[in-house]
Amino acid sequence: MKTQETMPTTKVERSAKFVKTGFRIGGNYVKHYSKKLFNPDLSRDELNEDNASDIYESLSQLKGSALKVAQMLSMDKNILPKAYVDKFSQSQYNAPPLSGPLIIKTFTKSFGKPPSQIFDTFNLNSVQAASIGQVHKATLNGKKLAIKVQYPGVGDSISSDLKLVKPFAFRLLGMSEKELNIYIGEVEERLLEETDYELEVKRSIKISKACKSLKNVVFPTYYPKLSSSKIITMDWMEGLHLKEFLATNPSQKLKNKIGQALWDFYNFQQHDLRAVHADPHPGNFLITPGEKLAVIDFGCIKELPDDFYEPFFALIVPGLMDDKEATIKAFRQLEMIQPNDDKKQIEFYYKAYKEMISLFALPYTSKVFDFSKPEFFEQLYAWGEKIARMPEFKQPRGVKHFIYVNRTNFGLYTLLNELNATVRTDTFQPHFSK
Amino acid sequence: MANTKKIQDSYIDYVLTNGEAPKSVYNFAKELKMTEAEFYKHYASFDAIEKAVWEDLTLATIINIKEQEVWPQYTAREKMLSFFYGYIELLKTKRSFIIYTLNKNPKKITTPSVLTNARKVFESFAEDVVNEGLDSGELADRKYLSNKYKDALWIQFAFIIRFWMEDDSAGFEKTDEAIEKGINVTFDLFQRSPIDNLFEYGKFLSRNGKFKEKMGF
Repeated sequence: MKTQETMPTTKVERSAKFVKTGFRIGGNYVKHYSKKLFNPDLSRDELNEDNASDIYESLSQLKGSALKVAQMLSMDKNILPKAYVDKFSQSQYNAPPLSGPLIIKTFTKSFGKPPSQIFDTFNLNSVQAASIGQVHKATLNGKKLAIKVQYPGVGDSISSDLKLVKPFAFRLLGMSEKELNIYIGEVEERLLEETDYELEVKRSIKISKACKSLKNVVFPTYYPKLSSSKIITMDWMEGLHLKEFLATNPSQKLKNKIGQALWDFYNFQQHDLRAVHADPHPGNFLITPGEKLAVIDFGCIKELPDDFYEPFFALIVPGLMDDKEATIKAFRQLEMIQPNDDKKQIEFYYKAYKEMISLFALPYTSKVFDFSKPEFFEQLYAWGEKIARMPEFKQPRGVKHFIYVNRTNFGLYTLLNELNATVRTDTFQPHFSK
Repeated sequence: MANTKKIQDSYIDYVLTNGEAPKSVYNFAKELKMTEAEFYKHYASFDAIEKAVWEDLTLATIINIKEQEVWPQYTAREKMLSFFYGYIELLKTKRSFIIYTLNKNPKKITTPSVLTNARKVFESFAEDVVNEGLDSGELADRKYLSNKYKDALWIQFAFIIRFWMEDDSAGFEKTDEAIEKGINVTFDLFQRSPIDNLFEYGKFLSRNGKFKEKMGF
């Protein structure tokens, strides 16, 4: 590989580079607006040019991680270590906390009155940052509540961030705009849905009702009347995040119990609801004092259409992949093998994807699976590294639904691995209409 | 008083309906069924009405925000933020007229004349807030500079209003962002910062010249 003279290598240097770009861009805006103060007719062209060249400069020096960002847009993204994904999504909304007056204004806009007139108590200082907002603690009629307030302008900045990534992704990946748009469109759609708090409340209520029968999984109650497009009010859940939970040295039995709850929660949704909580980020779960799994964020839901679900999960049922013809047929339906592939390509992609899906389906092949085994994850990462270097995988393949389904399942596997849990994997099996 | 309000409202209505100021005070007074002399008792000119509208809105905002329960607990920074959020909310009720008055004035760096009275009100409010911040230690007291803080806030005022005029986002959400980010940056600059320490250090070094020579500077 060609090395760039100035390529920053250590993690610190890399993030410093990003910070610097941020600074430069901030500087460009200051430059633009101070000029504009004296010359109001100045157009934004100069500003956009300044920004684009600074971003491009830093991205081209950051080839490694910029490539990874672009790779995340391809179907294989979640085989790459999850940390990259988290970094990327965090850097997008690294916003300082909202000021008290802005919180009050947001409430006044939504409900016509400040929070002090709605709740018995309301703490203006947020207790934690959520991905696109922050969480406040309040009480009403003796009940502890968690109030999520969204940052202003988030929806707008998502669209513009993705627009910024696009041209670099074309250049770096050599992808055509048409190919890339399918994936970017899918990501943008999910991200924008996340900013619609009214939709989130509706879905949270719907899914928590549907999952009521699941053992050891609990949900907060949501209050639609105290929620708006920018505000979500729900019960305050007591509990520990995964890391804190593990720090208390829980017994293996308890870890298995929580792991089982996670497995059931995801597989019930995938196979019975055909719509899945697609954000298995540790911050979205709590382990309650009553040893149950609490799910506290339904921002990102991926619906699985039949024309994706049926061919994909059919591959997971043991037996089908022994039949080469049927497997290739399924790969074609999922666009992993494409109409204009020649014989050699068909053979190549058949082998590569068969290997991937066999790996992915491993937990389903036995009744019980031990996620603490490092070999399984080493194999997964090795496969990811291998295909990242193959020119055949430079172009993304597969239908757009893979992005979030992979993210969900590999995210689930990673969570179970962190828990060192052994779970029964036959509780919710794929089933088909045919 | 009742007539002052009536004249203001009728004038705003006239301007928004016709897209321009009435031809003459005589004409306008006649429509209101009052004499020209009666009009002059309240306002010296149409411009005076426009100035008064701005001044009233600014005053009303200040009175409004001070009535909030949380007001006494706010820091200087939060008080200023609160002013702008309240102000934009109030300006919204007269947005068309506000834009009309500002577009009439050419875009220049000097304060548009229609804002002269509002500026006085705002600056005295800003001065109070800044002084409170200086007293509590929230803001850095800097020789020669502290009394310029209110001017910096006035520049923010002008910027935010211009930004809002051109804001086409739903609910003027972007203006909220502009306020949050702009006022925070301004107050960050008012606070004690590494630059103050650097300045102090420079002063210390220059006062202790003999060390400088010894150390070979």
